[in-house]
Amino acid sequence: MTHRRLLAALLVGGLLVAGCAGTDPDTAAGSPAPSSTSSSSSSSPAASPTEDGQRIEVEVAGGQVTGDTGRVPVAAGEHVTLSITSDVADEVHVHGYDLDAELVPGTPAELTFDATIPGVFEVELHESGTVLLTLQVS
Amino acid sequence: MTAVAHGVGSRTDLPIPLGLALYGAGAAILFGFAVLLLFWRTPKIGGPDSGRPLPAGVQRVLDSPVTRRGLQAVALALAVLVVVVAFAGPADGDRNLAPWALYVTFWVGLVPASLLLGPVWRVANPLRLLHRALRPVLPVPPGAGRLPALGLWPAAASLVIFLWLELVYPDRAEPVTVGVFLLVHAVVHLALAAWFGEEWFARGECFEVYSTLIARLSPWGRRDDGRLVLRNPLANALATPELPGLAAVVVVLLGSTAFDGLSRTVFWQTGPGAANDVFSGTVGLAVMIGVVAGLYVLGARLSGRMGRQDPAIQPRRYASTVVPIALGYTVAHYFSLLVLDGQKTPILASNPFGTAGVDLFGTYGNVVDLSAVSADAIAYVQVLAVVVGHVLGVTLAHERALRAAPRRPASDQLPLVIVMVLFTVGGLGLLFGF
Repeated sequence: MTHRRLLAALLVGGLLVAGCAGTDPDTAAGSPAPSSTSSSSSSSPAASPTEDGQRIEVEVAGGQVTGDTGRVPVAAGEHVTLSITSDVADEVHVHGYDLDAELVPGTPAELTFDATIPGVFEVELHESGTVLLTLQVS
Repeated sequence: MTAVAHGVGSRTDLPIPLGLALYGAGAAILFGFAVLLLFWRTPKIGGPDSGRPLPAGVQRVLDSPVTRRGLQAVALALAVLVVVVAFAGPADGDRNLAPWALYVTFWVGLVPASLLLGPVWRVANPLRLLHRALRPVLPVPPGAGRLPALGLWPAAASLVIFLWLELVYPDRAEPVTVGVFLLVHAVVHLALAAWFGEEWFARGECFEVYSTLIARLSPWGRRDDGRLVLRNPLANALATPELPGLAAVVVVLLGSTAFDGLSRTVFWQTGPGAANDVFSGTVGLAVMIGVVAGLYVLGARLSGRMGRQDPAIQPRRYASTVVPIALGYTVAHYFSLLVLDGQKTPILASNPFGTAGVDLFGTYGNVVDLSAVSADAIAYVQVLAVVVGHVLGVTLAHERALRAAPRRPASDQLPLVIVMVLFTVGGLGLLFGF
């Protein structure tokens, strides 16, 4: 009985200690709202690593998604620019951050925001339901 | 709106850190073998007659038909509201109360409610009220005699149907889907209850059986003589009636949560589940339930063979000891959904029909705060839930084995302990995302 108690206490205690000592990136508790949302029509040069933050570009043509697809890691707090070019009209939606932008065929749409909410979020097209990419903010 | 893995939701959890996953796995393995080497050799946990009785007055109120019909009427009113909103409310699933109420507040919320308060949905099941109302016009249930032989198998089937809807069906988050499901569910189970009698709900209605099973780990129990008692949740769990199909219910719960975890991994999303369609989802769900079932039956029967027990009743005998492991999985996968996306239900309930200017509770303007719990806190809750579930499961299995065969060596339990360790390490692996 004492053995059991001791063992259980060690296990639980160990986990708790680990819990306190975790490396917390201290996610800013401020407003999680995106800094700005814009849907610009200026065709920017492709894949330029901007001086401020991370640039993610995807292209949709004939139902196929190319570019930065799949699971895209983003550092928490990073300034993110998401550029989407589609060959059909649709609406892009970033889950969790709850951002939307209209897609005009052939014209890149841009969404800019600060990645302040940690988690895994889908970026998808509203009409077709296609998942363009998944943001992994950590 | 298409939904991420589970019914609804705007986010999924980050993979847990590798160190935390390994640490949890190590603790699980260590504990599994420590139980066999160091733990007690005679049954220690109270039996089905244990517990401290509640005052007779309290029991009279809790057991009174007035209380039960009253709670059932409240639940019925809320269910009717959700169905009406599903059909007449906003068409956008993001702005409609129904999917959030069903998949998050009700289905996930049923777990903490049953854990703290006991079998709440057995008491408040609105279908029981409707059945009672219909009874005067119904004939004597023709199939009542056959119900006991079916055990809990009907509940396992009913759970699979709901879980398939929640985890696989692509339009699961559409309000209309939710409305149709709730109506069909009510009609089908009322018809089956008309055939088999009111006891059907305790054997075949997935939500009531789920709530009752989780409540087996609550401190509230009913002693053999009918008295309501407060007792050790472990004694409660071991008093679970060993009905045919109990193992199936537990395996379905564990396997479906494992599939939910799998469907969030990069491996699944870029590999077998890349098509993200009904076929891949159905196969994935079936395979995960099948893997869990195969491992569990193998472990339980091997342990039984080593301990010279009848292998056929082994899976049923140990099923209740797997409930904590399934519960640990459930907490790990749905805790963040309840505390983060669960904020949506009170917001939308303030204006269920999306009418301009309506704000019943003054909460309609609120915004879901997805940063309310830090990513680190979520990871620790996940690992702790899986490991604690494992510890309780192994402890219960040890006690159960001692009761079945007091003189057998503890090494007989090895196959089942290894299977439980596999479940836990596998569960942590899914949280880590491999």
